[in-house]
Amino acid sequence: MKNIFLIAVFLFVFTSQAQENNQNKGTLNVGIESNIQYLLFDELDNPVTNDNFRSNNYVNINYDIQKFSFGVQAEGYAPKALLNYSPSYDKQIAFATAFAKYKTSKIEATVGHFYEQFGSGLTLRSWEDRQLGINNALLGARVKYNITSDIELTALAARQRYGFKLSESNIYGFNSELNLSNMFNYEKTGLNIGLSFVGKDEPYVSTTPGFIGKDFPNYVYTTSTRVGFNQGGIYANAEYVYKSKDVRIESGLVHEGAKFDGNAALLTLGYSKKGMGISGTFRRMENMSFYSERTASGNLYNEQIMNYIPGLTKQHDYSLTNIYVYVAQPLADFSNLSVDADTGKVTGKVKDGELGGQIDFYYKFKKKSTLGGKYGTKLAVNFSHWTDLYTTLKQEGQTNIYDTNYTTDLLNYRTLYYRDLNIEVRKKWSKKVSSIFSYVNLFYNQNKLEGAEYGTVDANIFVAESTYKLGHGRAVRAEIQHLWTVNDKKNWAAGTLEFNASTKLAFFGTDMYNYGTTGNHYYNFGASYTKSKTRVALSYGKQRDGLLCVGGVCRVVQAATGLNLNFVTSF
Amino acid sequence: MKNTFILFLFVLTFSFVNAQKNYPNITLKNLDGKDVNIVERSKEKMIVVSFWATWCGPCIQELEAIADSYEDVQDEMGFELISVSIDNSRSVSRVKPMVNGKDWDYEVLLDTNQEMKKALNFSAPPYLLIIKDGKILYTHSGYTPGSEDEVFEKFKELSK
Repeated sequence: MKNIFLIAVFLFVFTSQAQENNQNKGTLNVGIESNIQYLLFDELDNPVTNDNFRSNNYVNINYDIQKFSFGVQAEGYAPKALLNYSPSYDKQIAFATAFAKYKTSKIEATVGHFYEQFGSGLTLRSWEDRQLGINNALLGARVKYNITSDIELTALAARQRYGFKLSESNIYGFNSELNLSNMFNYEKTGLNIGLSFVGKDEPYVSTTPGFIGKDFPNYVYTTSTRVGFNQGGIYANAEYVYKSKDVRIESGLVHEGAKFDGNAALLTLGYSKKGMGISGTFRRMENMSFYSERTASGNLYNEQIMNYIPGLTKQHDYSLTNIYVYVAQPLADFSNLSVDADTGKVTGKVKDGELGGQIDFYYKFKKKSTLGGKYGTKLAVNFSHWTDLYTTLKQEGQTNIYDTNYTTDLLNYRTLYYRDLNIEVRKKWSKKVSSIFSYVNLFYNQNKLEGAEYGTVDANIFVAESTYKLGHGRAVRAEIQHLWTVNDKKNWAAGTLEFNASTKLAFFGTDMYNYGTTGNHYYNFGASYTKSKTRVALSYGKQRDGLLCVGGVCRVVQAATGLNLNFVTSF
Repeated sequence: MKNTFILFLFVLTFSFVNAQKNYPNITLKNLDGKDVNIVERSKEKMIVVSFWATWCGPCIQELEAIADSYEDVQDEMGFELISVSIDNSRSVSRVKPMVNGKDWDYEVLLDTNQEMKKALNFSAPPYLLIIKDGKILYTHSGYTPGSEDEVFEKFKELSK
């Protein structure tokens, strides 16, 4: 039935495309992406004997005609999904998402799968990130209505995509964005307000024998209140999010007893003018994880996640600066609690929340000035500081860990999780040569962020890269990096060499060498060919185990050696 | 397996049918909060659109490289670039300070929900297009040092 429907759609599209004189013919956009892997050695350098061949494939088709648009995405993970992706995708080849949309200047209605974000995403965000293996699209209906050009309302009802199935919960959302500057005729000042509400209805079915059904919150909701202001070079945005009470989840198990709500406050401010810019982001958050099925809380693959809680630190392009990456801490952790044998009372500390911020400063030293030189010099400085929140147990004579409640201080903390200082200087020496120098100083609390088997890390990193243009689209880029630390795996050195034979063909080789302890080399060699909208890349290498982070959301990856082929095109 | 194969066949036949694409008719806000519609702009004159993000190294290289020659190519051939940032809520607050801090003269639009990126169906920035009268005349994905010269040449060629 589904096949016949799709064939009918394609025939309709094909015939309308073929009519050259039809002025209102629609536009077809197709995107194809294929990532293929052939594994040779595993994380212990032993040969891989089965499941060597893996691939993730995506075909996305969009058709727009007048006020309508239709889309479908097919995905295939065969014979197995790429290493480190959720095994729930293995062997699946099917249509993953589909939608039909009608849009005018006043109203937009979508039926099918859609992606959405309210505010910063702390209340609701559904998006696709193929590198991380995230696609938590919502399947249902959504209507956006512009009462005026300054008031936009959104309402939705859906279920969340979970692999090729759906989560067992109903999601309702409502969002409003009000642009007050036009309403009050502010010429040069921008002022806007946003309000959101997201509700999740998830029935609880007990699998615990003898479970006594206490008042269980089937309905959990988040609300967001936002204000944004800008005038001239100044801007400020504030958002406050509240999450209603839900039970405590640990390792997929639901615990009866005390229920906990959550909240988050986010503030961004900045000032900029030509040649200079400064911006700061600050966040205080506790118990803000939100999943479409509560037992999925904290899962490895970021499946069934309802909101977007990125680590708010600088995103780096270099391999050594991506070893110690700060991951946001939204979960409350009760594992330190225990009942004291003598007093019979609960002791220990609840680990909850996150507090901190980052500041970015951009400056251009003008051309012909002392530090500027002939072409000007560009400076970027970034500083961040992240801690937990100071928690105190509410001593009400509790003898049961699961009944324990706690308070958090407003701006006080107990543990420093992460701190870094980044300085980057970009200099163009001549028409042909330019360089970038980066220095990073970081503190990473591996003990609290990864596990008790680790200590803390203090590290300094230096990177220098230069590009030399040879003319006619040919160029060479060379990069050297070094990380100094007496902790964890100690020192690393890394280098990259890239040769662009033309604007279409490039060859690259890169290596990270942990000479401080393990003596491991994590290398990658390959070539890529790009023409217009098509790109093919082939590489062979050994991937380091650790965190793969995209946009502040991370996934753990295990080490592996193998061959990779990537193909992307659109037409 | 059979489904995907049939799909692939249909999809291949279309690739030869529709050569010149329409640019998606989506309105985005610029850094001053004003609405800008690229299709409307491209009817006034031919423009170049480049997708980037504050976290995308090659994108920044491309915009810096074009910025170096921007004044000259504006005078010489009326070259105009609109850069569209796909930074989402996590990094969008860095866009204006970075653009000012790097002293770029481009108009910058914010595609925070990646609506325009999805409509164009490309996978990752940098992604550059030349548009005239709402039609896409040239596209280039990725950036290698010197590919900006190819863009300037193409623009000149299409202006004739």
